[in-house]
Amino acid sequence: MDVFLQTLVAGFLKGGLYALIGIGMTLIMGVMGIINLAHGQLMMLAMYVTFVLNTMGVDPYVSLFVAMPLLFLLGVTIQKFLLNPLIRVETILPENQVLMTVGIGMVLTEIVRFAFKSDYKYVTTEYSNRTFSLGNISFSVPLTIAFGIALLFTLAMFWFLLKTDLGRSIRATAQDKDAATLMGVNTGRITVITFGIGSALVAAAGCLLAPVYYIFPDIGGPFTSKAFIITILGGLGSTVGAIFGGVTLGLAESMGATYFGMEYEDIVGLTIFILVLLFLPGGFKRLTKV
Amino acid sequence: MNLRSGVMSAFAAVLFALGIASGALAAEKVKVGVLLPLTGSQAKFGEIEKRSYEMAAEEINAKGGINGSMIELIFEDDTGKPDVGRSAVEKLISRDKVPVITGGYSSSVTAAAAPVAQQLKVPFVICTGSADDVTEKGYDFVFRINPPASEYPKAVESFLKEVAKDVKTVVLLYENSAFGQSSSKSFEKDAEAAGLKIVLKEGYQAGAIDFKPILTKVKAANPDMIYMVSYVMDASLLMRQSKELGINPKLYVGGGAGFTLPEFAKSAGDAADYVYSATLWVDTLPFPGAKQYAENFQKKYGSDTEYHGAEAYAAMYVVADALKRATSASAPTPQAVRDALAKTDMMTAFGPVKFVSYGKKSQQNKLDTYMVQWQKGELEAVWPAKVATKKYVYPTPAWNARK
Amino acid sequence: MKAAGSKMKKNLFPLLLLAGLALLPLVLESNYFLHLMILFLLWVVIGSSWNLLAGFTGQVSFGHAAFFGVGAYTAGLLFHHLQISPWWGMALGGVFAFLVGLPFGAICFPLRGAYFALASLALGEGIRHIATIAESFTGGMVGIMIMPTFVSKVPYYYITLFLASLSVLSIQLIMRSKPGYYFISIREDQDAAASLGVNTTLYKNVSLAISAFWTGMAGALYMNYMGFIDPHVVFSLHDYSVMAILVAIVGGVGTVYGPTVGAFIMVAFQELFRTGFFGLFAFLGKATGVAAVTALGDAVKKAHVLGFGILVIVVILYLPNGVVGDWEKIKRNVFRIHPAK
Repeated sequence: MDVFLQTLVAGFLKGGLYALIGIGMTLIMGVMGIINLAHGQLMMLAMYVTFVLNTMGVDPYVSLFVAMPLLFLLGVTIQKFLLNPLIRVETILPENQVLMTVGIGMVLTEIVRFAFKSDYKYVTTEYSNRTFSLGNISFSVPLTIAFGIALLFTLAMFWFLLKTDLGRSIRATAQDKDAATLMGVNTGRITVITFGIGSALVAAAGCLLAPVYYIFPDIGGPFTSKAFIITILGGLGSTVGAIFGGVTLGLAESMGATYFGMEYEDIVGLTIFILVLLFLPGGFKRLTKV
Repeated sequence: MNLRSGVMSAFAAVLFALGIASGALAAEKVKVGVLLPLTGSQAKFGEIEKRSYEMAAEEINAKGGINGSMIELIFEDDTGKPDVGRSAVEKLISRDKVPVITGGYSSSVTAAAAPVAQQLKVPFVICTGSADDVTEKGYDFVFRINPPASEYPKAVESFLKEVAKDVKTVVLLYENSAFGQSSSKSFEKDAEAAGLKIVLKEGYQAGAIDFKPILTKVKAANPDMIYMVSYVMDASLLMRQSKELGINPKLYVGGGAGFTLPEFAKSAGDAADYVYSATLWVDTLPFPGAKQYAENFQKKYGSDTEYHGAEAYAAMYVVADALKRATSASAPTPQAVRDALAKTDMMTAFGPVKFVSYGKKSQQNKLDTYMVQWQKGELEAVWPAKVATKKYVYPTPAWNARK
Repeated sequence: MKAAGSKMKKNLFPLLLLAGLALLPLVLESNYFLHLMILFLLWVVIGSSWNLLAGFTGQVSFGHAAFFGVGAYTAGLLFHHLQISPWWGMALGGVFAFLVGLPFGAICFPLRGAYFALASLALGEGIRHIATIAESFTGGMVGIMIMPTFVSKVPYYYITLFLASLSVLSIQLIMRSKPGYYFISIREDQDAAASLGVNTTLYKNVSLAISAFWTGMAGALYMNYMGFIDPHVVFSLHDYSVMAILVAIVGGVGTVYGPTVGAFIMVAFQELFRTGFFGLFAFLGKATGVAAVTALGDAVKKAHVLGFGILVIVVILYLPNGVVGDWEKIKRNVFRIHPAK
């Protein structure tokens, strides 16, 4: 029983972080209809920001306030100067934007490698290893905090999308771009802002992950994969879906690791992903309708 | 001049310059090709090894080089990928015409490069790549200084036999890499032969975020010993999370790879205390020049070296020794260098080097391995007793019994 | 008359290129350059195969490493378990890649656009994990190592050249025949094609089958030539699935010769950067005594992936249809600005 509960807790906490990674991706995918294959690389950048600030004595949680705006600006720049120009160009494949994100991901990784080499960096704080226990179950303090912050961000996003004008415009663009344009929404501007917000959210995930994990230039790739798995699980453009998707993936990985073996962790994620693609297209959004 | 002829003449100039580049540098020098990952994810170790090669070559050149001619190292970046490694070896042999190649960090690059060297009949002195089968193919142009992956846990096994006799159950965790899979397999075989019971054996993908599920299972299995083959950051996470869960075996042992690096102790903090690791070398070993090498490295580059660096440093001396014996009046030919290498019998900072055949292996250097333990943030040699710098702490104190 | 002349010229050029490539080993003695040429030709096969499925049929696969790896492992495992020469594996490598393509298609083809891309990516990654875990069957990450058959590069060069020309030729022939038109109709508008009576599922599978077959052959050839494989090498998402895409993108998606051009650019680019323009920078640095030049050379060496990434971004921005697809544009914009004096 302890094994089960501990696995459950571990999966849940990890799921909170995954959700935060997924929300950024789901917004971008929902609004632009493209997969952002540089998503994990953006997170990697935020982790390096956290690392650099940490060497100057800044706490990772404080660096949230630096990394998020920085990555917001970067996301805006990428969308405005590298992705939006592609919409107007006639090409054989509509996927040029996706391929562009592949190129961007490569360039980001290599620039970081250039600046920091391939060395592993880590941000150790005095709370990195801290735990508290309920009964026999141990909770990692930083992961619990990360879970709380992820939840907070999701609620904030939810409110933002439902209640603000800008949020409504984003939702309108996600649902029907042409109709939104006709209704007077500047969809070009909306895509730029959305990419910025998506980047800022994944930056937050990076800052929260930094104290419990480590940092190196190639860290982005695996997280990009996780991000799109979460997005497909949750349904495009759905913030609540991303939470569900993130927690589901976290739980599935942990349960898979405990009951099948740790080497099956990734396969469990990929299998769920393909099953959802085939049998529940639209993800949890179809079930929850939000 | 129109554009096209402009381009052509520029091209011609480049070709000309290339011709000079390869011609001018050749004079009065003995070239040695070095294959290392200088970019990509393994570049950290490539860099340590590159510096060690350079340091050794400078020392040798300062003492007169190879019978008067200077060693010139030609580094080729294999980027950690076998096909690039192969390109690099091809280039070293057919363009640079080196009489000998050394280096070889990753198992896969080494495995792809060795047959090329064999076929083109240029000796390849491997310093790090540990895949067992590289020296099991009967290649007579391939030599290896470091022990193969399957021999890394030798010292651990003797420690279990002589000290930790009460260890009966073992958990085996390893990363799914060439080194992890092969060394865990041979450890499993040896452990079972010694009467130990493997209660849990799990591989994992390097780079996992959370080891809690697997460690929860480990805790439930309550083993006497946990043997982990992990790279540095996974190693650190494993220990940190073991501490979080309060797992108390009689000993934690790392199977080489990440557990001996300074980064492990720094990032794991006090969770690294009392952890044992198998290793191939520490600077306190009683080999001539070992201590000096470590000190000079620290002085010259301002950072610490470790066993990979020592392997490279020794490899340079082994190659130089063979080149000296192979160079008479004329420049050394690959065949002459190979023959000289086969007769190598010398002492280096990394230990004695002599290429012998045993079991399925041929032209393999046979070395002892050692066991180290982290004690108060310092890496101490603890086993075998004759090279120990500190006495081992056994059994490992329980987490909550530490101050 | 003029049209016929230009058409003949169009057909003549590939033949001349082929003849030139066939004669190359006679003039080129360096093993090193032959090796680079073999890599280039191998990429011609991979890029062209990907292009058939994605560029012509519109199914952008992010999982082609699966076929490459299966081909390589077919050859490797036949040798590993049964001591059968990996050359037999080459014949079977394509077949097994084709067989793997069947469930691959069954899973991915009901999906469209980004979903197709993601599913193919997930399948490619899944196969890599399986090959890593199934240690007792595949040898796991320890990999499979064989001794290459030939010492000389020349036989490999001709075999690769043969494979490359055959794959490009077959794709050209298909694209001129009826299935080719169906492929393009699926790419342009799948629903319209279906309503006109094209069996879209069938033809997507045909396209995939051919694509997987050639990619598998390339994989098996890789095993034979390189002599070493492990799951992370041949099933690599970045080194094969994504590279296949980039090769085709740079050269020109949906053109028969685009991937060939892209393959050449990619291999040349990487090697030029990796070696610091064949040591030119190091030489100039030494000759002129300017440390900055040497440092620049080192920077170039370190930046070989970065350089390629930037190339990809520039190509997508300014030549969205690749070098071949936008050749007219290049001619117009680049060569008119610099007219001959």
